[in-house]
Formats: sequence, C-alpha cells, structure tokens
Amino acid sequence: MISPNRVGLIAAREFQAAVMNKGFVIGLLIMPLMVGIIAVVFPRVMSNRAQGVRGEVAIVDPTGQVSAALHDALSPEAIKRRRVESATRALENVPAPVRDAATSNAAMERAIGVPPELTILDRPAGTDVQREKSWLTSVPAAGSLNHLALIVVQPDAVVPAAGTTVYGGYELYVPQNLDDRIEGELYDAIRDSLVSARIRAHNLDRSQVEAVMRVRRPTSVTVTAGTERRTNVAFNRALPWVFAGLLVFGVMIGGQTLLTQTVEEKSNRVVEVLLSAVSPMELMAGKILGQMGVSMLVLGLYIAMGLFMLVSFAMFGLLDPLLLVYLILFFLISYLLFAAIFAAIGAAVNEMREAQSLMTPVMLALMAPWLFASVIGREPNSTFSIAMSFIPPVNTFAMMIRLATNTPPPTWQVLLTLVVGIAAAWVATWFAAKVFKVGLLMHGKAPDFGTLVRWARQA
Amino acid sequence: MEPAISLTRLRKTFGTTVAVEAMDLVVPRGALYGVIGPNGAGKTTCIRMIMSILFQDSGDLSILGHRSALEAKDRIGYLPEERGVYRKMKVGAFLIYMARLKGVAAADAEARVPKMLEEIGLPGVADKRCEDLSKGMLQRVQFVGAIIHQPDLLILDEPFSGQDPVSVRMLRDRILQEHRRGATVLLSTHVMANAEEMCQHVVMIHQGRKVLDEPMAGLRRQFDPRTIHFEPLDAAADCSPLRTIPGVEAVEGVDGTYRITLRPGTDPSAIMGRFAAAVPPARIELARMRLEDVFIRMVAGGDQGDRALRASLQAQGEGALA
Repeated sequence: MISPNRVGLIAAREFQAAVMNKGFVIGLLIMPLMVGIIAVVFPRVMSNRAQGVRGEVAIVDPTGQVSAALHDALSPEAIKRRRVESATRALENVPAPVRDAATSNAAMERAIGVPPELTILDRPAGTDVQREKSWLTSVPAAGSLNHLALIVVQPDAVVPAAGTTVYGGYELYVPQNLDDRIEGELYDAIRDSLVSARIRAHNLDRSQVEAVMRVRRPTSVTVTAGTERRTNVAFNRALPWVFAGLLVFGVMIGGQTLLTQTVEEKSNRVVEVLLSAVSPMELMAGKILGQMGVSMLVLGLYIAMGLFMLVSFAMFGLLDPLLLVYLILFFLISYLLFAAIFAAIGAAVNEMREAQSLMTPVMLALMAPWLFASVIGREPNSTFSIAMSFIPPVNTFAMMIRLATNTPPPTWQVLLTLVVGIAAAWVATWFAAKVFKVGLLMHGKAPDFGTLVRWARQA
Repeated sequence: MEPAISLTRLRKTFGTTVAVEAMDLVVPRGALYGVIGPNGAGKTTCIRMIMSILFQDSGDLSILGHRSALEAKDRIGYLPEERGVYRKMKVGAFLIYMARLKGVAAADAEARVPKMLEEIGLPGVADKRCEDLSKGMLQRVQFVGAIIHQPDLLILDEPFSGQDPVSVRMLRDRILQEHRRGATVLLSTHVMANAEEMCQHVVMIHQGRKVLDEPMAGLRRQFDPRTIHFEPLDAAADCSPLRTIPGVEAVEGVDGTYRITLRPGTDPSAIMGRFAAAVPPARIELARMRLEDVFIRMVAGGDQGDRALRASLQAQGEGALA
C-alpha cells in the first residue's frame, strides 16, 4: 500500500527545502561559532581585566620578619613567576599538543596578563589599626595611588607563643570592590613570605624543605584488555555530555523543522493537494525520513569535526569507535519517537502558536537528559541510572551517557534499552499516524492532548 | 463499462452534524457532471469521500472500478477547494513534484510543464516562486497540477472561485478540452450559471441530501417554459385581455412588466402570437430556465416545490426530498 517511490519523492523534497536556505546554514554554524567564541574571545576579555592595576598596600608587622619578604613577593616579577607556575600546573593533564599551544610565549603572555604594580607601605609596630582602616576607606588625593589593602601580621606568626606549637596568622583588610585577582595575589604572597620567615627562624634551608615536600603526581594509565592509554580526566568527564548533547541536538534539528513544515503545509492548505496524490501514511513517512536526513547531515558534520579535532590533538585513541555506532542507533530510535510526536502535533494544530502548549511536555522530555546527565555520568550503575535506561523517551539518552562513562553497563542492559526504545518508537509512530490522518484536515479550535487521543481512537 | 464514480447510500457525520446522508450517485465514464448546492450543502465532504481523504461512516463507493480512490490515485486529477502551494518553491518545480507524485516520469513532467502553463495563459512563470504570483494565477497553476498527469477522472471543487471573467473562460475551455480528451469530469460549484453552461448532467445537494440528479437536457424539458415576460408598447395600455386568452393560468403585473404563467401543456410559440395581437408589445419573451430557480423551488420546501419534478424524482426512485 505504501509506495517507496512516493515516500522517497516526499523525503527528497523535505530534505531539499530544509537544507537549501540561509537559515539552515546559519543554524549549522552557530554551535561551532559559539564554542569558538568561548574558547578564543573569552580568555582575552578575562585576562585583560586585571590589566594595569596600581595601588598601595599597608603592612603592620610586629615581628619585623615578614615585611621584607613581602616586598619581594609582591614585586611584579614575583607575581608573574607565580602566575606562570600555576598556569603550567593547570595544563599538566592536558594533551601535549594543547599544552604546547597554550604554553607558547604569546599564549602564556595572554594568560598571565599584566601583573599589578603594588607599592608596600611599612607601618610601625604599634600603629593604631582602626586609624589604618579609615586610611583604607579614605579617598586618595588626585594623582596619588589607590589604597588597596591593609595587612596586619600577628605577633606569633613567625615564632609560636611560648608553650604552644600553633603559629599565629595575619588579618587582611580590603576596601569594597577589590579585584579578586589582586586579593588572590596578596594571599599567595603573604603565605610565601610567612613560610620563608618561619623556615628561617628554624635555621633551615627553604629549597631543601621544598624538595622534601614535593611528590610528583603521575597521570594514571587506563588499562583495558590488550590496550593501555593515558587516562584523560577532562576527556572522560566531557564524553557523556558530548554524546548526550549530540543526541538531543540531532533530534531537535529534524524534529523542529518537521513540526514547522507540517504546520505550514496545513495552514497554507497545500496538504489537501498532496493528499490527492499520496496517502497520509506516505506523507508522514516521507516527511519524517526527509528530516531525518537533515539531522543526520548535521550530526555527521559535527561528528566529523569532532573526530578531526581528536586526530589533530592526537587523542583519537581515547575514543571507543563503538560509541559512535551506539550514537547512530540511539539517534535513530529517539529521532523516530520524537519526530512522530512532532509530526502529530504539527498535523493537529492550526498555527505555531497553538503548538506551544502541546510542545511543552515534549521539550521537557527532551531537556530531561541534561538535568540528570551529571548524576548518571558520576554513578552510571546506580539504581536511578539503570531505571532511567529503561523508561522511554529518556532511556536512549540515559544509556548513551552510561555507555560513554568509564564503567559501561552490561550488554543485556544495552540490548534491553534498544528493545524498549524500538517498541516506544513503534507505539509513537502508530499513534502519530492516526492523529496525522485525522488532524491534517481539521481546522478550528486548538486541540489538547485529549483531542489527539480521541482522534487516534477514531481513526 | 463500470461507471467512473458510483456511490451507494453514503453517509458521513461530524459529531452530531450529519454532513452527507443517503447519497447515491452514478457518474458514467466520459460524462461531465456538475454538483451544485449552496455553501455548506455537503459538496466538499462528498468529494473528499470520493477522494478517500475522508472516510464514510457507512455506504459503499467505487472509483474507476476500485473500492477506494487510493488505489487509483495516479488516474485521478483533483483540485480541492482549499488549495495551497509551497510558497517558497518555484512554480515549475512544484508542478514537476506534483506530476512525479502522480507517477509521471521526470523527463515527461519537465516537458509538459512549460507547455501546459502556456496553454493556461501563464507563459514563463515556471522559474518564479509561487509566492510571487497573484491568487488567481496560483489557482490556474494548481489547475495545471490537477491535469498534468492526464487523468481519467478529473474532480474539481469550486474551480472558478476567485477568478476574473477572462480566466473563468480560459479554465472552462481547458476543462472542456480535458473532457473531449476522454476524461470524466465532476465539478462542484455554488455559482449555478457555470454548471448550467458547461455540464451535461447536474446533481443538486442540499443539507447533505441529493435533491436532484438530472441531465441538463431532461431538466430543460421538465421545466418546460411556462412563464412569459410581457411588456406593452404603451405603458398605460389595458392588459386585462391577456387574462382571457385560453391557456393562460395567471397574469401578475409589476412596474409595467407582466409575468404570464401558462397552463400545463400549452404551446408557448402559438400563444405568444395571440398576446401580441391582443396588446401591442414592446418586449415579449419566454423565461429561460435557470438552475437557480430550479434550486430555489426545490429547496423552498414543502408544497411549494415543483410537483412535476417531485413526481419525476419519486418515479425514478432517486431519493427523497428533505
């Protein structure tokens, strides 16, 4: 009864109409563009923030042993050195090509930014702290430096009080709205100065103490049957998100277009002309397949882009190719399920505005995977995760996230998810076909879900 | 040969509204049928059931020998009342798409499109987007879409609505051309003059029921002209002698024009000479039968309906009057 030829013609037209327009090309570029903006523009904007801060820092040091070291520790050179150290430490777990790119001179310069120029003002030991606090809030004379901080070192900060082993610390007073990066610099510098002073008080050599303290943390190696590879924490953590995202995104692209095009066909009355040539089932099948082509094209492009990046960063070995096979399988199932619902809604309503209320629960179901992606990603074999893997329409998303984690689920669960998914897609298509048949020629009052169920019973 | 369309006791309801009731209809192959009736009479519902776009609650139908139009879609051309196009699509591409859905090979479809557009008075629009055409032009494009696959059965729902007189003529000629090619044509219209001019046979639908199913020729015979319009040369002339002429049933005068009703069986040609002799006329003419009058008389209801037609319908067992 269904002619593959006619379904093919409809699918081809749908695909062409969706792909051959400016909106599609713009939509296709938006995601990579946003990633690009976040990766390139954001860091520049961020690092420029701390540029060119100048000001005065007052210190009250009753021990007389901290202030000198603080002068050194807050010099621009010392601040720069500390920033380089912390950036290098942060990049330890990043793959070599990324690290090389990030630690190049230019990139480092950008990451470090311009260190602040701080002038240290030594206050005598007995200074009234309250008066110094009001110095902090007073407005400096025109042309003079801003007052950035007041440091009050406690008397027992370098040598503990008699009879105890506990060291004292220091107080830090700052005005409102101090740049948090400056505050961070102050903490680091004071800590460094205090530690130096304490070590000196014990007549020890600081470089020896540091050497004793240092234990290099290795990158763990993931061992699977037959292969060994460097564990990449960031990659492993991101993978479930990436796959869940691809799945949701793929379904959304085709599903949304399917909905809008069906509503348009119905509202501009082209549908009755079509129904004189094809059956409702052929029309629906053609439309769903055509938009599936659109989704697969977009998914294919993104996957290709992702693989290209993995290859160029020499991380290709980190990805299990079987995951891509699962992605395609789960995409097909979830797409069919959601597309059928989108088609039914499109056929039922008179205009897009009416579709909104019917769409809300569907969009919630599509967004649900985002809500629990982290929960499932962290504990892929918890009861919650397992239950989610068998409840349509979220089961495919849940299973995709589990498969992408370090502890993949047992095979029987994967198969069960597939079976449940296929059954759900079949039921949705059956329901949609009935609603589609009745709804296409119905004009009038906006339908609710009850109306759709009644139509499905009627047809 | 089996009829092109055969409907038996077709019934369709929407909720509590009965849209079509006890519909019997036989359209022979090669005929040109007009379905007339006011808006909301059930014409479109009937046509949609013929097209298997809607499905009847009860009753049977046979289309080109098949139980459903779905099995003969490629042989049927259909112009729905509510017709649309893909606005962003080019006219040529749209027509080729429709032709291919109807089973025409791609090469044939491409060859036919420019030729048929030219025939319908739209040369050179194939490369324009549908949204750039006027409503009337689009309707002609849609008509081309309905005949591009040279169907055996052509079903046109209100084909003339929204058309200017020149386009109406062009469409009418093209429909008659399809009929001459051998296609069975069923067209619906609420403008009865159109049906009167073109159709061999008319079917009237009122409130979901068929109230008339007659060949035009028979209809003209049955509604034998028994009304004569008479206007005296001298507006002040005394027209009372007209009443006394044998064969005259009634004379009504309105604004200096008289409407003379003849007794059944009276020969109008003979009596018109005697009117002229009695009172010198400025105008004397036989009232032409108009479908509209027939329709109004049919649906005026009750005893005012034409008794002769009623009897004829009952004799043929074609259906009951509402």
